[in-house]
This record gives sequence, structure tokens and C-alpha cells, in this order.
Amino acid sequence: MKPKMLIPLVMVLTVGIIGACINLSDRAAYAQSREYAEEMKEIQAPTSEQEFPVPLRPLPKTITPCRACHGPEKDFPVNFKRREDILVHSNIRLNHGGIRLWCLDCHHPENRNYLLPLSDGKVIEFEQSYLLCGKCHGTIYRDWRDGIHGKRTGSWNGQKNYYLCITCHDPHNPRFKPMAPMPPPKKPWTPTEVRAKH
Amino acid sequence: MKNFIVQAVKRIVIGPPLYYAWVSLLLVLIAVGIASYIKQLEMGLIATGMTSYVSWGFYLGNFTFLVGVAAAAVLLIIPAYLYDFGPIKDIVIVGEILAISALLMCMMFVTADLGRPDRIWHLLPGLGILNVPSSLLGWDILVLNGYLFLNLFIPGYIIYKAYNEKPVNYRLLLPFILLSIPWAVSIHTVTAFIYNGLAARPFWNASILAPRFLASAFCSGPALIILLFQIVRHYTKFHVKDEALHKIAEMIAIAMAINLFLLGAEFFKELYSDTHHLSPLKYLYLGMDGKGRLVPWIWTALVFNVVAFFIFLIPFTRKKFLTLNLGCVLIIIGIWIEKGMGLIIPGFIPAPLGEVWEYAPTTLEILVSLGIWAIGLLLLTINLKIVLPIETGEFTKHSSQERAFAAERA
Amino acid sequence: MRKNQSSDTDSFAGDRPPADQAIASGDATRPDLPDRRTFLAGAASVLGMLAVSSCSWQEFVQNNFQRMSKEEIEQTVDRLRREYKEKYGKDFVVGTEGPIDATLFGYALDIQRCIGCRKCVYACVEENNQSRDPQIQYIRVLRFKDGDMDFEHATIYYDPEEVPEDGYYYMPVQCQHCANAPCTKVCPVRATWTEKDGIVVVDYNWCIGCRYCMAACPYMGRWFNFKEPVIPVETINTTTHYLGNRPRMKNVVEKCTFCIQRVRVGKYPACVEICPVGARKFGNLLDPDSEISKIIRNKRVFRLKSELNTQPKFYYFFAT
Repeated sequence: MKPKMLIPLVMVLTVGIIGACINLSDRAAYAQSREYAEEMKEIQAPTSEQEFPVPLRPLPKTITPCRACHGPEKDFPVNFKRREDILVHSNIRLNHGGIRLWCLDCHHPENRNYLLPLSDGKVIEFEQSYLLCGKCHGTIYRDWRDGIHGKRTGSWNGQKNYYLCITCHDPHNPRFKPMAPMPPPKKPWTPTEVRAKH
Repeated sequence: MKNFIVQAVKRIVIGPPLYYAWVSLLLVLIAVGIASYIKQLEMGLIATGMTSYVSWGFYLGNFTFLVGVAAAAVLLIIPAYLYDFGPIKDIVIVGEILAISALLMCMMFVTADLGRPDRIWHLLPGLGILNVPSSLLGWDILVLNGYLFLNLFIPGYIIYKAYNEKPVNYRLLLPFILLSIPWAVSIHTVTAFIYNGLAARPFWNASILAPRFLASAFCSGPALIILLFQIVRHYTKFHVKDEALHKIAEMIAIAMAINLFLLGAEFFKELYSDTHHLSPLKYLYLGMDGKGRLVPWIWTALVFNVVAFFIFLIPFTRKKFLTLNLGCVLIIIGIWIEKGMGLIIPGFIPAPLGEVWEYAPTTLEILVSLGIWAIGLLLLTINLKIVLPIETGEFTKHSSQERAFAAERA
Repeated sequence: MRKNQSSDTDSFAGDRPPADQAIASGDATRPDLPDRRTFLAGAASVLGMLAVSSCSWQEFVQNNFQRMSKEEIEQTVDRLRREYKEKYGKDFVVGTEGPIDATLFGYALDIQRCIGCRKCVYACVEENNQSRDPQIQYIRVLRFKDGDMDFEHATIYYDPEEVPEDGYYYMPVQCQHCANAPCTKVCPVRATWTEKDGIVVVDYNWCIGCRYCMAACPYMGRWFNFKEPVIPVETINTTTHYLGNRPRMKNVVEKCTFCIQRVRVGKYPACVEICPVGARKFGNLLDPDSEISKIIRNKRVFRLKSELNTQPKFYYFFAT
């Protein structure tokens, strides 16, 4: 992946997403979109049960529902400004798309239990986060859908388990983490050694 | 028949002290070789220097050299039977007997190289599966056995007639003799093709390989024959004319000229085009990645071959026995290096994925090989001990009967 | 590509390549089995090699897997299970599952993704019961410098603290399961062949250990057991296949079989399952909707040493 090439793409999409967010600041519109989301699940949209056998709760259950704190009527008002000094969520270091992305470029500003909607206005649930990823990373999303990008286990001719984007890429810091390699192979016997007795 | 066996055994058992010394030496080497081979069977091929990188080694090197020796009998057959060149016709039988020993040694070397000799029956057509025409190794087994049959049959028939003091019917023999000429070429060609057909190994995958095999075979085999004839005529009543030896030497000069020319052609192609196909040659002649075990050997071979070429080219040195024998020894060593280790090992270096891992035979491998050589030489000695007196007319049906009567009376 | 696979293959045993019949005269000779045995009795006593090579009588007379009848296969499997039980103290499954209809296996590896962690190497060793000493590893992970794909400049012995390293990329190489395989062609006894589903296999009990196939392979895809393989009993994999990961004996050749014991029952090969970056892809080339078919269709792929016309069913590609 070449982060530099992604920047212009991310910029364009960010502008679009922010635009969409402003529209959604109306609660009525949000409620509508929520209904859409319900509808979508049943009718045509790819769902976890239907298209991809993905793990249903990608978020740990211990996480309090976001709306407990966030929301128009709660303690933390919506703030689109990028800040470094947030007291809560200190475990998250946002390193995604350089300095151009901010929490609300993905998280729904009005209802943090959801992610930002697709361009058709339908909000995205956490368990379908890949739909949101695909908004910026369209080609990779397509490859992932075809099983080209990402990992699948299970059966080559039957039930497969898909790894979600966020299984391998922390959405706040998506770069794949380096790891220690397994030991290199032993070098073969060479004539300079005395061949060990066996 | 009973008389023949009794007398033949007597001839094998009785001999001068030098003969006993020679046979004892061979028997010791054979015993050591067999013991080493049993150890190799117990341990597995880990007992050898071979690895997954260099998966063929000393055994197949010797095998390749000996196929050349066996094939060289044809250089005697052509002048003897086709051109009716008297001096060689008298002695051609010795060349054929050498071929028999060489062939048996070839088969033993291949068997020693096999990981599972207990499964050798898998090669038998019908019972097992001999994968011809697909596998060149399968072909080689066929042609080597066919050549062994021809070389047992032709001299066997001649010896049988000589023993019974009857004239040889050359009209009966001629088809077999004619067949043995292309067959001799084929055993060495097919052996070359074993290596030649492998696109994975650019060092072997050059169409010049089979011609080079033949050219070098026609140097080393006859050189061995020249030495053998001198030993034979020194120790037995078997007569070998100088003329025959010089004729053979002349043929060696031509073969060596072709051999060196082909080597030069290969050098040019690889050096000028300078692709990765050059790497094995580079490893062989210059070393690679600081590894160059074969470098001194291959230069020795090259120098020996060139020096021998001039010895055989210049009539003065060719006809003088001191230099002639020196030339023969140089050629045998030179070709043994070039067509043995110098051919097999660089095929594997660098490995197809670029690594450079060297090979050298272990002591065990060398002992097993010496054992096989000793078996071959012992067979040669015994065969000559029986065949030569028959050829010279000392050992016939008549003489056997006389001796048998004499023994009964006593 | 052999895309038109016959669909009438239901069992492995009853189905042998027609070319085999001519040479083996298999069916005709089978009733005369005792004759073969009597002949071999003589041969064996002459050889006397049995004593040192420590193999049982049944093992000695065992036929080539392709020529075995169903009963012979059953007997052989029973014997092998007994032998393994005795040797390792565990109950083994020795499967003989045949190819699945209309299946031709293909493999693809995304070198853009591979980070050279060698997890596949060790997963393969465990799954396939490879010898730990001497070490046999079907997968070699080559490290190349950026901008270079010359094998002579590559190494498999890199050992940094962390991978991937800056300035390098990685390319794992294993058996490429060539459609035009040079290794099966050269075998003098047909101990190695390509199955209907495209897997190149070895009958470890038929191999005579000549190593011609190793010389013929341009990918170093074949390994030889230079001595009795050493496998830790605690981690030995007891779910095996006759042509796959069953324990081998000394002095025979072995190789990657795409984990035949797994893929013939629908699972992914072990290396695909373990790969932490999902660089390894596997599936049916004859199914247009399989991952492998989509990769070939949508990505630009290449095959190693394509100039040798080996036509591997192992593809490398660069996904974005």
C-alpha cells in the first residue's frame, strides 16, 4: 500500500463524507436512515449472514454502547475539529490517512453506535465496517470481496470464514504490524564439516 | 563342460606371486567396500556427501566415466571387423572384455547411488514398472543391459569356438557386430541424455553434451586399453603388435582434438552470451561465493588433456612408449575428472534457486567406490586369465581333456 | 491447462491412467499374484539386502499405489496403521481419498503481501510430518532486494528482529505442481505422478531413491530423506493420506502435496490457513467463481521460470 497515493483520494472522500454528515445532523434524517438500515438488512444489502460469513461482533462486548456518552443530548457534543488532547479514548492513537482523517470521518457524529452511512444515506453497523472501509479503499474492498485480498479459512469449496478488514488492520492505525520471523532453515552439510555420526 | 570349469578354476587359482598380491589387494578393497556399503544401507545416504542441493555425486561421476570406457570398445570393433585391420582384430576381444567389466561397474555404481536398492525389482518390466519411453534412466537401463548382452555374446561365441578349436563363423556374428557399433554410441548418448534432458540444469542442458561425451569417451577408453594391452602382453603369451597400439593412439589424438574443440565451442557460447547459464562454468573453473572445491581439479584435467593431446598428436611422442603411457595416464585422469565430478557436481551448483552449496565425497563413498572398482578389476583379471589362454591356443578342449586324463592317471 | 476433466471418477482405486495399463499389464497379471510372490521370494533371498534395510516382507512386495486393487489398498492401509501404532504409539488415519470431480487445484501467492515471516514453513512441517533432523522444509522463503528478482542474489537465511525489512521483498517457493512436470517424466519406475486434480504425488513405498526427480525439478520442490526421518511424537499429525503426510521412511523422496489430506476433504492447505497476511490463495481452477480463478482473471499473474514451459499451477501475483 502506498499511503501517499491514498491521500488525494481520502481528501476527496472526506469532503464528501463531511458533506453527508452535515445533512444528517437533522435527527429526523437520521431516524430515516436508521429505518433504511433496517430495511437494507432485509432486502438487498450485503449482510453478514448473507454474503460473507464474518464474525458478528467485531467489537468487544465490554465497550459501553457509544451513545451512553456521545449524542446531541449527552455530555460530549459533536466536535469536528481535529484534537490531540482527548482525555478519554487515550488508548487510541489515530494514525490513518495522515492528519486528514478524524474520528467523525468514520464514526457517525449523531449516533456513535453506528458508522457513517454510504452515499445512499444508509448508516453502517459496526459489524459491517468493511462497507465503510470500501468507501475509500474501493479496489481493495473489491479484492477482499472476491477473496483476493485478506485471509479466509475454512473450506475451499464450502463454508469460509472471512477475516474482516479490522481483524488485521486496526482502523485507527491500519498499517500491518511487523513481527518476528520464525527461525531460518539450517544450512546444509558442507564438505568443510565433519559429517556427524548418526 | 566339466573339464572346462575345472581347468578354468585351476587357471584362476594358480598364478605367480604378483598375481596373488594383486588379487589379494583387490579382495581386501572389495571387503572394505562391501562393509562400507552395508554401513551406507544402515545409515541411509546421509553417509554420503550428497545433500538436497547436490543430490548426485561421486557414484554417478564414476558411472558416467565408466559408460565412456565401455562405449570405447567400439573404437576397436570398427577397425577390427569393418576395416579388417589385422593387428587390432587380433586383440579386439580384450576391449570387449574390458567393456563387460566397465558395464558391470556402471551398474554397481548406479545401485550404490540408489536409496532403496531393496526395491530394484520395481525396475523390472511387468513385475515392476520400467518407465520407458518417458524416463531416460529407464532407457539407460535398457541400453546398458543390451550392450552387456552384445559384449557377452560376441566374445563369448568367439571364445567358445576357439576353445573347441573350430573356425569362427563371421557371417553369423556380423549382424551382432554391426549392431554393437551404434549400440556403443547409444549407451553413451543415452547416458548423456539423462543429464542433457533436464531443463532445470543449464550446465547439462546444452545440445553439445552428448557429442562431448562421445569425444571424451573415445579418449579415455582407448587410453585405458593401450595400458591394458601392454600389461597383458608383458604378463601373458598374448601377442599385441605395436602397430595396433599406435593406431589406437592415433584415434585418441583425433578424439581429443574433437573433445577440446567442443569444449572451446561451449566456452565461447557461455562466455560471450554471458547469461546465468555461465554460472556453473564459473563455479567450476573460477569458484563462486568463495567456494571452489573443483577449481584445482578441473584445471588439472584441462592441463592434462591438452598435454596429452600434444603427446598423441606428435608422431615422435606417440610412438615412444614412455611418452605414450604418460599420455594415457594423463588422459585417464583428465577425463575421469572432467566426465566425473567435473560434469556431475556443477550441474547442481548454483542450485535452481541460486544457492551455492558444495559437495565432496565422504570417506565412505570413496571406499564403496574403490570396492566397486576392485570388483570390476577382479572380474577383468579373472576373465583375461581364462580368455587369453584360449585365444593363444594354450587352453582348448583338447588340452583340458589331456590334463584331465593326466590328473586321473596320477 | 487440462481443463476438461472427466466427471466419472468416483473412486481413486478403480481409476488409473490408461497409459499405465500397457506397461504394467496390470489387470492381466493380477490373478497371478502368487507367481510374482514366488519369484520375488527367490529374488529376495539372493539380494539379502532386506536384512539391512529393515523392511517387512509385506512392505517389500507392495505394489505401486496406482496398480493396487481396492482390497490391496485396504490391506496396505491396515498394515501401515499397525506399523505407525507400533512405532509412534498413536492411532493414525491413513486416508486414500481420490480426486474430487471437476477439480483442478491451483495456488496463488501475493508477493505484494508476503512479509517473509516463515509461519507457513513451520505450519507445513507440522502438518506434513516432515523430518526435523535432518531438516526438511517444503517451503523456502526467498528474500530479494527491491528491484531485483535474480535467484542468485536471493537468500533464504535472513534472520532480522522483525519482518518485513525495508528494502526487501519475499517470495516463498515450494512445489509448483506443474502441468508439464519435468519430475514425473523422469522417474524410472513411475513412483511419482500427477493426480487428476493436478496434485503431483509420490508413492513413498514405490520410490527407489534415485533422486532423478530432484535433479529435474527447477524449483527445488523435492526433498530426500537422507536418513530415517525424526518427527517428535507429541506433535505428530495422525490425520494422514497415503499419498500425503503419512510418515515416510529413509532414502525416499517427498514433496508438497498441497496438503492432499486436507484439500481432498475440502479444507485449505495448512500454509493458506496459517498465513497471517492472507497472501496465500488456493482453490479450484475449473470453478470460475473460485478465489484462484478470480485472481487469474482480475490480476496480472506470473509463473516462476515460465521459459521452461513447466506450466505451474502455482501463480504469483501483485494485488494492490
